[in-house]
Amino acid sequence: MKRSLFLVSTLLLLCTNYVQAQFEIGVSGGYNKNYLHTSTGYRAYTKYDALSGFTVSIPIQYHFNNWLAVEADPGYIQKNYEQKRDHFFDGIYQKNTNSYIQLPVMAHFSFGGDKLKGFMNLGGYGAYWASGRIKGAMANPFNLGPDIPDNQQTYTFFEYDKAYNYNEKYSFDSRRDRRMEFGLLAGAGIEYLLQQRYRIFVEGRYYYGLTDQQKSYMINQIPRYNDTYVIQAGCLFNLKNIFHPESATAE
Amino acid sequence: MKYLGKYIVIILVLLAGVSCRKEMPEINDPQNTIAANFNEVFDAFWNGMNNNYIFWDIDTVNWDNVYKQYKPLFAKLNLNDSNDVRKGYTYFKQMTAGLVDSHYNITFNDTWLVDSPSISPSYERKSASPGFHNPISIFHFYDTIPRKYLDRGGAIRGFTNTVDGSNQYVAVSGTIQQNILYFFFSEFALKELYKTDTANGVKRVEQYFFDKLQNTANIKGIIIDVRGNPGGALADLDFLLGRMIDKQLDFGYTRSKQGNGRLDYSPWAPAFATPQAGARNITAPIVMLADAWSASMAEMTTMAVKALPNGHFVGERTWGANGPLIGNLFFNGGQFTTNYMNLVYTSSLMLKYKDGKIYEGVGFPPDVEVKYDEAALNLGQDKQLEAAIGLIH
Repeated sequence: MKRSLFLVSTLLLLCTNYVQAQFEIGVSGGYNKNYLHTSTGYRAYTKYDALSGFTVSIPIQYHFNNWLAVEADPGYIQKNYEQKRDHFFDGIYQKNTNSYIQLPVMAHFSFGGDKLKGFMNLGGYGAYWASGRIKGAMANPFNLGPDIPDNQQTYTFFEYDKAYNYNEKYSFDSRRDRRMEFGLLAGAGIEYLLQQRYRIFVEGRYYYGLTDQQKSYMINQIPRYNDTYVIQAGCLFNLKNIFHPESATAE
Repeated sequence: MKYLGKYIVIILVLLAGVSCRKEMPEINDPQNTIAANFNEVFDAFWNGMNNNYIFWDIDTVNWDNVYKQYKPLFAKLNLNDSNDVRKGYTYFKQMTAGLVDSHYNITFNDTWLVDSPSISPSYERKSASPGFHNPISIFHFYDTIPRKYLDRGGAIRGFTNTVDGSNQYVAVSGTIQQNILYFFFSEFALKELYKTDTANGVKRVEQYFFDKLQNTANIKGIIIDVRGNPGGALADLDFLLGRMIDKQLDFGYTRSKQGNGRLDYSPWAPAFATPQAGARNITAPIVMLADAWSASMAEMTTMAVKALPNGHFVGERTWGANGPLIGNLFFNGGQFTTNYMNLVYTSSLMLKYKDGKIYEGVGFPPDVEVKYDEAALNLGQDKQLEAAIGLIH
């Protein structure tokens, strides 16, 4: 009973004109590039490369005044990367596509004119590594290539062991994989007020992971952190415009 | 200016957060280390194992505890004191005693250890187990079996010595009751010896067996005898079994390391034998004869045959060294050297049988178990071979 009362009063509060005027909600989406901050140690012909992905989210802003707001941006984001070998081992690779459900929370600082404004976001995020997919090719020692004549030189490992190509769901290992990720974020962009109703924006954002993707399960463990660069665009609607559109246009 | 203080606080908080990442440990290639003292010797070996050993997923040895226990012990040793070197050897033996990898073997460069046996945890375990026995004498295969079990005029045997004289390959083939083919070979170097330009003893035996396989009208069964066989070249799987199948024979999966973490693995890739050009699909029973001394390729071949609908395995549980081996560079894991160790011989890949089980360290079980019987063997009676013949009948 107490819980229901709380919910009803919260909804009522949200619907008051004053609060509506402070709240904005919207959608955004964009492209990202994720770099895995790690090390291959002394492994020869082996490296990690960044991979692109995408993000979609529902930004929610609460404005304290005309220059400061707090923003939550719950959504879906991919943090992909690739492990690759080259030279003699060219063709051996694995692309990791990692899906996260992420909740960034940030302070939103605006500056500039009434319609066109610049903004800066600073905050942190929490993310849950929901699923993963691995696609790649490895040498299969049980799938031998044709015999190589003694006088013939070779160029790739696949001439000896043919490639095994795979594209499968990533299996989490609870001993190793840390699925919660926390980190910092910083972003900057511009926003434009359109027809007094919508604010469209473009933003560049950087997510700096502070949580190792792996639990601490071994001495001399090489950590893995996500560094994600996002370029995104979106649109925000003032709640007041949704509940009282006529008053909004009259302003 | 009014809000400058707040901005500065926010930026300082963010900078503090940025410094929260762990530092990358410095991991050196064990092959490029300097054995100037036992600290360095220990670190090179321990880290080499930490990053290259393929079985951490299933191994019960707690490698972190090994570090905590032995790092201080090695720190007390003097590399230039022969007594300490002996003590260090004992520590290495203790550290690795429980490792599941049954290929595992350490040999040393230290001149004070030249007379010491290599460290082989699986051998130590097996030699201490109640059912332990020595390998069946090669003369049993070379003399007794042709004389007692193979058809007169229907047997051939031969051997080939390596150029440096370090190894000798032996092979025997023949028929039993005219239409059961028998083939014994002491190691898997069949393709290599067959492809040589010059004639050699094993090649002659191979040719005999392949001709019989191709030309015997009514093959009643085939017995492939890999008792005492320590393994060898993986290429022999297709070279031998590929002559008896008409479609790909899937029998398991392998995976390698894929990162420096102990639990960083590639996906499981299928393990199979591929039919060879001109192969004859054998539908008669194919029986593998293997024993506790059948290791590595001998076990993988046994597993592959067992995966056939007409495949059988008679004998004893095998050695339990199933993981294929190749140089460290190829799969970023497995065997490595250090400045102090001549070789840490360990598998490059982990093998899982098609039933989902990993038989590393435990051995592959026979479907018809016939224990080693020394007394019978001394009388020239081979109960395992007789059971294989009986199974075909």
